[in-house]
Amino acid sequence: MKAKEPLNIMTAKATLTALALATVLTLSACAMPQGSGAPSSLYQALGAQQGIEQIADNFIMEIAYDPRVFDRFADSNVERFREKIIEHFCFIADGPCEYTGDSMVLTHRGMDINSAEFNAVVEDLIDAMDKAGTPVSAQNRLLERLAALRPEIMGI
Amino acid sequence: MKRYSASFSVTALPAVFASLLTFALPAIALADEAQTERFGKIKGTGGVSSISGAGGGGLTPWATLSSYAEDDQLGGTVFISQARVDDYQLDIYGGAFNFHDKIEVSYARQDFLIKAADVQIRQDKIGLRYKLAGDIIYDRLPQITLGVEHGELRDPAVALSVGAEETRGTDYTISMARAWLNGIAHRTTLLNVNLRYGDANQFGILGYGGDDADQKINLEVAGAVFLNRSVAVGFEWRQKPDNLSALVEDDAKDLFLAYFPNKRLSLTAAWVDLGAIAGAPDQRGVYVSLQANL
Repeated sequence: MKAKEPLNIMTAKATLTALALATVLTLSACAMPQGSGAPSSLYQALGAQQGIEQIADNFIMEIAYDPRVFDRFADSNVERFREKIIEHFCFIADGPCEYTGDSMVLTHRGMDINSAEFNAVVEDLIDAMDKAGTPVSAQNRLLERLAALRPEIMGI
Repeated sequence: MKRYSASFSVTALPAVFASLLTFALPAIALADEAQTERFGKIKGTGGVSSISGAGGGGLTPWATLSSYAEDDQLGGTVFISQARVDDYQLDIYGGAFNFHDKIEVSYARQDFLIKAADVQIRQDKIGLRYKLAGDIIYDRLPQITLGVEHGELRDPAVALSVGAEETRGTDYTISMARAWLNGIAHRTTLLNVNLRYGDANQFGILGYGGDDADQKINLEVAGAVFLNRSVAVGFEWRQKPDNLSALVEDDAKDLFLAYFPNKRLSLTAAWVDLGAIAGAPDQRGVYVSLQANL
């Protein structure tokens, strides 16, 4: 013989647990802790100015050799791209920089970038950071902040 | 009766499938797939193949659809898996097709072996899933996927003898998944929750329904953390109905490690605890799965 809990109680328990978890899934999207505080700032974790410059240089090389997205950068001025992406990463990472480039919307409007192209550039950036020796934790902190810009980049 | 060797039972696979893997794997291993345009998702985010053939997880499907297909792409996966616990062995092979990362069609053939009796129970599983809303990372809503999973036993005798009502049955699932790029310990972290409606006994291996029908809605939870871009570790827990008065059925759980050397291959190893199965208690052991993206 075996023991069973009443059918309706178990079902209610499972449903309640699922609802609670679903709520967590929905709400915590905006509740994960953000990096803060000067000493452990993301800027420092990325290797400060030197680290960010290395990441930018690697990033440009990754894109240059990526047939998935290279065409999208064909008209870019590499010098300007390098300067502005360094500013932008520095600014986003709470570094001592101002971003003086165009807005993400202005930069990407009319390109109608799709999700596969967006992901390809994310992979190029990950490879660039790997090659710069950026720790995975710092990579993920930066990627999380950049991900917030996705609506200003994709499909416009 | 078929004899099972200590490793993958490749001989049990139909020739077509075996040769596909035989010829595909060396090419896959050598291919510089890093920038394959058809593989639009980021490495690892296509997940692995679950025991029903649907994208997952292993013991459970996840809201993520199988393969690396993105919005406007087609994708396909094939896999072979094996679970070896104290008194049983389960060999699975199958595949999935992904249309625009919106619709997934899957198939799995499950060969369940009762070691002591050398009795085999074979089951076919077909699945259809639809990505309803949200996004695993980028949307306010988690990724929400609806699924239908139909199973039919080729060898119904054991299921009927233990009191199952049917030798075929259909499960309905709703899956919700959320991933945080910067999650636990600054590692990319995923949580998946399924609600499953159905009456499968031991994943359908012991048929569907029974004389002591249990709740039909059951909960499945999985979590994973990417230690780096190629290795993820996690757990799964799958609540199961207990429909047969003659036998106790327990929840299933696992701890897994998945390795993604590139976008072509994934290798998953897990420790599984399936609880009591058909009167044999504490069925624990290992699970391995090899998946290829086509």
